[in-house]
Amino acid sequence: MKKNILSLILALAIVAQAFAQKQTPPAGGTPKDFKLPAKAGKELANGLHSSLVQYGALPKVDVQLIIKTGNMHCAANEVWLADLTCQLMKEGTTSMNFKAISKKVAAMGGEISIFNGMSNVNISGSVLSEFAPELIKVIGDIVINPAFPASEIERLKSDLKRQLTVQKSVPQSQASEKFFQTIYKDHPYGRLYPTEEMINSYTLDKVKEFYTKNFGAKRSVIYVAGKFDDKAVAQAIDETFGKWIAGPEVNFPAVTPVRTNEIAVIDRKDAPQTTVMLGTPTITPKDKDVVALQVTNSLLGGSFGSRITSNIREDKGYTYSPFSTIQDRRGASVWYEQADVTSKDTGNSLQEIAKEIRKLQNEAPSKEELEGIQRYMAGTFVLQNSNPGGIINQLNFLDLHGLEDSYLTDRVKNIYAVTPEKVSQMTKDHFKYEDMTLVLVGDKKLLEKQIKQHEAAKKMK
Amino acid sequence: MYSCNPKKSDESASSFKVPVEYYKLKNGLKVALSQDKTAPTVAVAVYYNIGFRIEPKDRTGFAHLFEHMMFQGSQNLGKKEFIKLVQSNGGILNGSTRFDFTNYFEVMPAHKLETALWAEGDRMKGLAITQDNLTNQQDVVKNEVKVNVLNQPYGGFPWLDMPQYANENWFNAHNFYGDLKDLDSAKLEDVSKFFKTYYSPNNASIAVVGDFEIKDAKKWIEQYFGEIPKADLPAKPDISEPKQEKEKRFTKEDKLAEKPAIAFAYKMPERNSPEYYAMGLIDQMLVQGQDSKLFLALVQSKGYAGSVNGGINYLGNMYNYSGPMVWMADLIYDANVSPDSILSQVDKAVAELQTNITQEDLNLAVVKIRSKLYDDLGGSFGIGRADMLACFALFDDDPSRINNIEEEFKKVTPELIQKTAQEYLRSTNRTIIIVDPKAAKQ
Repeated sequence: MKKNILSLILALAIVAQAFAQKQTPPAGGTPKDFKLPAKAGKELANGLHSSLVQYGALPKVDVQLIIKTGNMHCAANEVWLADLTCQLMKEGTTSMNFKAISKKVAAMGGEISIFNGMSNVNISGSVLSEFAPELIKVIGDIVINPAFPASEIERLKSDLKRQLTVQKSVPQSQASEKFFQTIYKDHPYGRLYPTEEMINSYTLDKVKEFYTKNFGAKRSVIYVAGKFDDKAVAQAIDETFGKWIAGPEVNFPAVTPVRTNEIAVIDRKDAPQTTVMLGTPTITPKDKDVVALQVTNSLLGGSFGSRITSNIREDKGYTYSPFSTIQDRRGASVWYEQADVTSKDTGNSLQEIAKEIRKLQNEAPSKEELEGIQRYMAGTFVLQNSNPGGIINQLNFLDLHGLEDSYLTDRVKNIYAVTPEKVSQMTKDHFKYEDMTLVLVGDKKLLEKQIKQHEAAKKMK
Repeated sequence: MYSCNPKKSDESASSFKVPVEYYKLKNGLKVALSQDKTAPTVAVAVYYNIGFRIEPKDRTGFAHLFEHMMFQGSQNLGKKEFIKLVQSNGGILNGSTRFDFTNYFEVMPAHKLETALWAEGDRMKGLAITQDNLTNQQDVVKNEVKVNVLNQPYGGFPWLDMPQYANENWFNAHNFYGDLKDLDSAKLEDVSKFFKTYYSPNNASIAVVGDFEIKDAKKWIEQYFGEIPKADLPAKPDISEPKQEKEKRFTKEDKLAEKPAIAFAYKMPERNSPEYYAMGLIDQMLVQGQDSKLFLALVQSKGYAGSVNGGINYLGNMYNYSGPMVWMADLIYDANVSPDSILSQVDKAVAELQTNITQEDLNLAVVKIRSKLYDDLGGSFGIGRADMLACFALFDDDPSRINNIEEEFKKVTPELIQKTAQEYLRSTNRTIIIVDPKAAKQ
């Protein structure tokens, strides 16, 4: 009963507001200058590159050694061998064991991380400024003189197997594995998880062989960003990495992603939601239209205020955290929308996504809507370049994809150059719902009906 | 007011102090301003002194549901317009609900500070929510609980579980994400009542961090918040926890998990006491980083787990809460390991802290915590600094504390570490949750 009174008051308030003019938000002042932080660096005789960026007032420094290898260099029966190599590398060098390294870097205010991805191995630390040269030396020692202690390998294999079991019980991981397998087929980019049997088969010799074949100066860049002593850092890099072997050339396996409208269902009994991944191969960062693609993605599903998110979350309440993104691998990119949606609304969600894509294909967005997205992207670009880790990410992105500096320096200009018509054209050319790969992880008995809605959505005009 | 340049101090090679300007508006709104001209951006954070701890007893999850309602429309900004306004001005935004506060923040290009302040002021003045908006966000929040808890292995473990098992007082021990049926029964009148009760300027703080001029910020804050009337605040409920005298152990079945997991938690000393700072350093020694005692024992030496998580306040850090709290750690392990063999390693590490701590051990912990503190003060586009300033304003009426924390850690002695470990890392002050994995192997 009280609810009725409240509703009435609200209704009155709405009527009143229709007459009273709403306040317009203050526009703010004039934009401040933003320049990309300057970088210095060079190439050593063995082919190792360095890239140094002084940034900020905080007495800290990020050091990252990034090597262009990873699971892309693992054979079909050796998935995660790169992970095991990295884990074993972390166990110590010929002169310092794990405990000694950990203690030493802790005393600098940080710790060593070794991250192994598809195309990058990243050995890094973030420490108090004065320790930058010392940290560089430790990172160099780890990558140049790994001890690969045989005593630790079985423990690390158990850790990987445990990690595998846990990750494969997560619905989003199950969806990703199937989705990228469908698009990349037999290519390493399509192999996210090994089997337990594979991990069991890995030996110390295999680890050493992977290391010798894939690690070396030519494939490596050392990034230093934050506050640090230029001269001491440059000297530490020369002394530490000058003696490293040149090693193998940079080598990215050739790749052709498959465009297929296959539907894959992974049964998850009684799941209260369906994890949806819907997507398609798309243009890479080297393409002249890449910024237009990114703008289109932000407007369609890649931001909180985007059309798909507005629709299936803020209007329909089907899901909490929908998003679309472009995953860039070297030589291949994939656009996809991902959402965990209430099971019974799986088909409805797909239809709404299809509708939003169609709508953008048929009708250019308003200038106002597009400008909002452009300002959002320009703003987040400043944020991406406003911390040491972010700066290194940007520079590594250029290096990984073989891009010119102009990719960053002209970025804001390029974002604003995209027109409403271009967005609509990009959607027609690159977002073809009927050609998209669909993966559903959910309760199979409920999904048959939902897939029919997907089939209907494909024919939508 | 406290102000100091980020210069090197005499004591250590790196040190970092931040400028703080603090005052209150006539309506009681606490304001903390801190310049940082590193990047042309500005962070605005509004904190309300209402966390899920003290939400209504028949409405579990309501504080969090209400957080969602703050994006559903105010006097001058309709549904979706708040988000659009921030993003189309080049900013990012979010909100979150924690033990002792609910916060809303934006990071904007520096010249858009006034826009953000206007928008926050607008929703502090009042909301304009319809039943449709409420129903929609009830659906969204139920989907949030499903994706984060109900459809995940280890969902809610241990961050949502432990407070419910370790604490005795309902305020600390209820399901703060909310039972789905409680979420369903929320009414528009609840929204209106909750707003009137807790979302007033005298129950809030605002922090601005970044590249802006103090006089501009002061002018706009007065302009957009100064006229909002203060409200009568309800008496604070008793949120204290009784002293724990007996170890508690629970098993939780998890139908989606395939490996067992364990979490163990000890009740913390009172916030801002000398023992509290000692626990901050104990946390560093026990579980933070690869040199920590538990990492070396459980991961490196015994191989029970690939990693061990831990810390004070899993929904934030040791600075952004104000009521009872636990120090906790957790790990996932294999079924052939018994929980007691894990706990015996924990007991061994704790015994070292209780009896054998050198000044050198302590110095190492101080370096680690300082380094982390600098990240909080300077990183994340100003959000970390704004968080501390807003919390210290809200809880202590003293945001300049931000510059004293480092000193407080440095005051801790090896004796205090031992005493604190003896008093608080007692097994009788401990709660254990073991996840019993019930998923069929796939």
